[in-house]
Amino acid sequence: MRYLLRRASHALFLLFGVSVLTFLFSALTPGNYFDEMRLNPQISQETVAALRAQSQLDHPLPLRYIHWLGGVAHGNLGFSFAYNSPVGPLLRTRACNTLLLAGTATVLAWLIGLPLGIWSASRMNRAPDKLVSAGTATLLVLPDLVLALGLLILAVRTGWFPTGGLTSTNYNGFSTLQKFRDLTAHMTLPVLALTLSALPNIVRHVRAAIADELQSPFLRAAEAHGIPQRKLLYNYAVRAAANPLISLLGFSIGTLLSGSLLVEVIMSWPGLGPLFLESILARDFYVVIAGVLLSMLFLVAGNLFADILLYLADPRIRTAERSQ
Amino acid sequence: MSTLRKLNSVFLTPRTDHQLSRWLLFVLALHFGILAAGFFAPYDPADQDRDRPYLPPMRMHFLDAQHHFHARPFFYALRLAPGSFDQYEEDVSAPIPLRFFTAGARYHLLGFIPARRHLFGSGASHPTPNNPPPRLYLLGTDAFGRDLLSRFLFGGQISLLAGLLGAAVTLSLGTLVGLTAGFVGGWRDDMLMRLAELFLALPWLYLLFALRAFLPLSVSPVQAFFLVVVVIGVVGWARPARLVRSIVLSVKERDFVRAARGFGASDFYLLHRHLLPETATVLFTQAAILIPQFVLAEMTLSFLGLGVPEPASSWGNLLAALQQYSVLVSYWWMYIPALLMLPFFVGYLGLASALQHRSRPFKMEAGVSQANSELPVAVSKEVAGA
Amino acid sequence: MCQICRFLWPCCVGALVLSIGVTYVTSAQTPQPVSTSAGREELLALPGELGHPGGRLVVSLRAEPKTLNPLLSADAPSREVIAAMQSDLVHINRATQLTEPALAKSWRISPDGLQYTLTLRQGLRFSDGHPLDADDVLFTFRLYLDGNLHSPQRDLLIIGGKPIAVRKLDSQTVVFTLARKYGVEERLFDGLAILPRHLLEKPYQEGRLAQLWNPATPASEIAGLGPFRLKEYVPGQKLTLERNPYYWKTDAQGTRLPYLNELLFLFVPSADAQVLKFQSGETDLISRVNADNFSVLSRQQRDYTMSDAGPGLEYNFLFFNLNDLGPKASADALRKQRVFAKPEFRRAISFAIDRDAIVRLVYQGRGTPLAGPVTPGNRRWLDEKIPHALRDLPQARLMLQQAGFSWQNDASTGDSTLLDPDHSPVSFSILTSSSSAERNKMATLVQDDLKQLGVKIQIVPLEFRSLIDRVTQTKEYEACILGLASFDADPNSDINVWLSSGAQHLWNPAQSKPATAWEAEIDRLMEQQLVTPGYEQRKRLYDRVQEILAENQPMIFLASPHILVGAKNSLANFHPAVLEPYVLWNVDQLYFRNAAQQSASK
Repeated sequence: MRYLLRRASHALFLLFGVSVLTFLFSALTPGNYFDEMRLNPQISQETVAALRAQSQLDHPLPLRYIHWLGGVAHGNLGFSFAYNSPVGPLLRTRACNTLLLAGTATVLAWLIGLPLGIWSASRMNRAPDKLVSAGTATLLVLPDLVLALGLLILAVRTGWFPTGGLTSTNYNGFSTLQKFRDLTAHMTLPVLALTLSALPNIVRHVRAAIADELQSPFLRAAEAHGIPQRKLLYNYAVRAAANPLISLLGFSIGTLLSGSLLVEVIMSWPGLGPLFLESILARDFYVVIAGVLLSMLFLVAGNLFADILLYLADPRIRTAERSQ
Repeated sequence: MSTLRKLNSVFLTPRTDHQLSRWLLFVLALHFGILAAGFFAPYDPADQDRDRPYLPPMRMHFLDAQHHFHARPFFYALRLAPGSFDQYEEDVSAPIPLRFFTAGARYHLLGFIPARRHLFGSGASHPTPNNPPPRLYLLGTDAFGRDLLSRFLFGGQISLLAGLLGAAVTLSLGTLVGLTAGFVGGWRDDMLMRLAELFLALPWLYLLFALRAFLPLSVSPVQAFFLVVVVIGVVGWARPARLVRSIVLSVKERDFVRAARGFGASDFYLLHRHLLPETATVLFTQAAILIPQFVLAEMTLSFLGLGVPEPASSWGNLLAALQQYSVLVSYWWMYIPALLMLPFFVGYLGLASALQHRSRPFKMEAGVSQANSELPVAVSKEVAGA
Repeated sequence: MCQICRFLWPCCVGALVLSIGVTYVTSAQTPQPVSTSAGREELLALPGELGHPGGRLVVSLRAEPKTLNPLLSADAPSREVIAAMQSDLVHINRATQLTEPALAKSWRISPDGLQYTLTLRQGLRFSDGHPLDADDVLFTFRLYLDGNLHSPQRDLLIIGGKPIAVRKLDSQTVVFTLARKYGVEERLFDGLAILPRHLLEKPYQEGRLAQLWNPATPASEIAGLGPFRLKEYVPGQKLTLERNPYYWKTDAQGTRLPYLNELLFLFVPSADAQVLKFQSGETDLISRVNADNFSVLSRQQRDYTMSDAGPGLEYNFLFFNLNDLGPKASADALRKQRVFAKPEFRRAISFAIDRDAIVRLVYQGRGTPLAGPVTPGNRRWLDEKIPHALRDLPQARLMLQQAGFSWQNDASTGDSTLLDPDHSPVSFSILTSSSSAERNKMATLVQDDLKQLGVKIQIVPLEFRSLIDRVTQTKEYEACILGLASFDADPNSDINVWLSSGAQHLWNPAQSKPATAWEAEIDRLMEQQLVTPGYEQRKRLYDRVQEILAENQPMIFLASPHILVGAKNSLANFHPAVLEPYVLWNVDQLYFRNAAQQSASK
């Protein structure tokens, strides 16, 4: 329990530190949202200056930070200049879209990767293992940039999949079943790209962890006792190898919001990634900070979740904790 | 046959050493090719041929239009089909023979040895400005008519340098911090680890934009780019630091270290004689993993507009051209650099695997895999603002 | 009573009753011209092809509109959506580039040029059915001119230093009084949407106006006089407009416009994604394609047709930092600026640049080389006398030699370096926006061109806002390639670029007094054409401005892209224009040839 409290307090410190540093960075970056209007001959400098003053961008930095912090305490994450609306609802919609995509991809990657890794470890260095290794090596070597672009070309050339976006234009008129099918069709390619990029690491990691356990003394003793292969693998080795796998799971969860930026941008998926990039380029200050904090929150939550799971799953940690 | 007995036989065998040297040789050969880019590339990468933008690769022929066989392969010049912007047709009246060790554009081998010989070319031995020899475009040209093969080879110099530089900076800084944290322990260790978490979580994209915008114009764009790479390297110290620290922690309590301490060894001696060698294997493996990750980071930077500017070429630049839909659909040869890059990644991957097999096969792989699994999300996605 | 009277009396009564009855009945049948909105509407009948109603048009937008409030709109997507929802008093026909009556059926300019009297059409109604009258016009202009609202449109209504004064003569006539004569005349009313007083007066008095009418506003709270009104907004995905049943235009046969039932804007953030959607048939129109995508789309024209509308009003240029650098400037920067400040140097650079290569390689031939800021797309104001800018390297060398420059040849490499009159090598950096692929390509070509002159160029791509910051605020740059697109064909729309006191006078903005004699001359000419009525006189003045720009080359003009658009074959009445909004300017007249099929697919 103390262990978890300590981790939680670290997480809070982290969030605080990140918010301060992000504020600082954004002050360092030259330019602000209203700069684009400076190039418009139809708008006078006074108007631009007045709009800037209205948005309180000229106030000193510490003051703005405190103001913002106060707002966050009340649930108000600030105002987006580009979308002319409060940041909270904007982020919520986008984050849900990203979670839909990344969540599905993560679940799929684990559902495929875990059994594949176990199977590969049990057939170490024979043909199936070599095949899987070659496959994961190929996927590792392909940058996910190239992968996403390739899938997009596939969509365009064959016309089997929609070429981007979340739903078709007629979505609102669909029945529930049609809506489900439409959404699935749009999700297929981005999910494929994300799954394929996450898969090799999971497979390799699982394979390494299981193979590592397979040579440990207690397993050899169990084999000597005559326990069948399958039981050895699934009931003994997997359980013992859980430790690093749970860390990896925590990491997968932590990067749910942030790992899909490139894919979302290429496939025009209206998620957090394109919003974040666009807001940095447009100097949409509050959106950037809120976006960073949200991703950070997930990262921290993911790690915390992994820690809790480890605590519950691994008796060694519990005893170590108690002995302290 | 039991799985476990099979596993035992896979252990440290001479085969793993053999594998390591094979992969090392492979990677070094590829690097040599890039280092001597001036020799292997037929043309200067910045030479524009404005009459031949987006030229497809020239086809090698052995049989000419009259069905005569020529021992020396030759190419036909391509010229724009009349009325078109990017459709080319072969000009069968002008065959261009392939000659080896031709004289061509001046370059500097290894940066300082002036030379004029190229591996191959179209063979006019004394080109004059008024009558330039017809050019051979083995991989086609880009939007400005620049030879893609030359751009790939010279671009490799910048990309691989970025990879090596970034990895070097990250590893040295990370090792330093990791050794200190692991060795010293206590509250300093705690503080450093908290700092590491902070570094891992920040949106570095913002900082990079800010950095680029801040640099005075007197800094040349290539220098600015490498500064950006160094910054990413500095930023990435957290992961190797954690890895090194965990090794140091485990080694610190080993018997031989305790014994040495008992004999009165100084801290520096312990670090230098015992801890560093233990970390060396990990560091090499890390290097083999980090270098391609930094090359990928350079590609991501170019994708986002922070890469090396014109007219310098880098692999990131070449791939960034594929961002445009029109290029993806119409000019298939622009993909080829992406395929040519793959051997490098494969080489590094093989090297990393061989290194990890050579040391402790599975324990190490778990630890290295951990780092490996974090890293693909590491630099390129950190850079992408996670 | 006598017998006759006894007979006549019922007849008189009967006749009286009959006449009253007849009058009543007939008056009920004859439409009376009434000044209230319950009576006759004065609609505008548009000439042109006749269509049939029905169908939904799907268009992609590069970004979400920030606001639907014409008072606050400054970004392009907002302007595009608002253009379909609102109407102005006098409108510039995008095809002819001339003005035509809109909400005002006629106007009169007083002989002294200071009073504009506009007569509104009678009986018009907003999209929610509420009638329009002169009070709405008064209210609208009061909002535009309100200093506290900081509307970007306000600056367009300050003439001669004083805001325009508005008053009404009666419920259909409004008089605008200007402080001084204005050469632009009635064009100034284009784009100034007339706002509904009945919806906005109360929020205005409560000070809530600036938050109103963002896209998420309920449709019942927004009203306008445009062909469409708001139906639905889905954040991050689309915005749907539906037909305005009260729209005040009809076709030649009297069918009320618009033909289309719905106008759907999809938010598609990247140009390539827009191309994909158009190719797959999800969108019906595509506007401002770049040349590469245009070629790709042209190659596969199955059920759509791509068209090249000719040169637009965008002009791309290279300019140098001619600002007064101040006492803290480095010796290096001062030396470079001494070179930039020589007009011969700039003219030589202009001769060295291969504009044909730019048009060929950047725009695939779908562009026009420029010698001045006015493109061939602006037929009325282009000065034909200015010579075309052809590449002439020997001439460039000659000019440089005459100005005191020399070359140093390096025997080992065979390269020559240009030396300025102080014998230092000439080299400088050119800033470009990293997000504009086309200008980056131009920069690369210019870099190679100038290499042949012996000048070494570094290209520094900067992210757009950092670039603007450097050029307009900190002024720490050497040269830059940018592009501007004129909002209107009239030279006045870009006046802040040419006036030395203007903020967009990019090479040396916001001067307190002109730094050079030719800039002073341009100031004088522009101020004069501002108050000169009459096209011929203004053209003579503006021609002279173009000639001075060609002599001194503060901006070295490069090229202008053509307006490249595409539409489905089933869409009729499609006539792209070179002024914004390029494809939707006549959205009220667009219709689908197989409209029954279109509305079924809704």
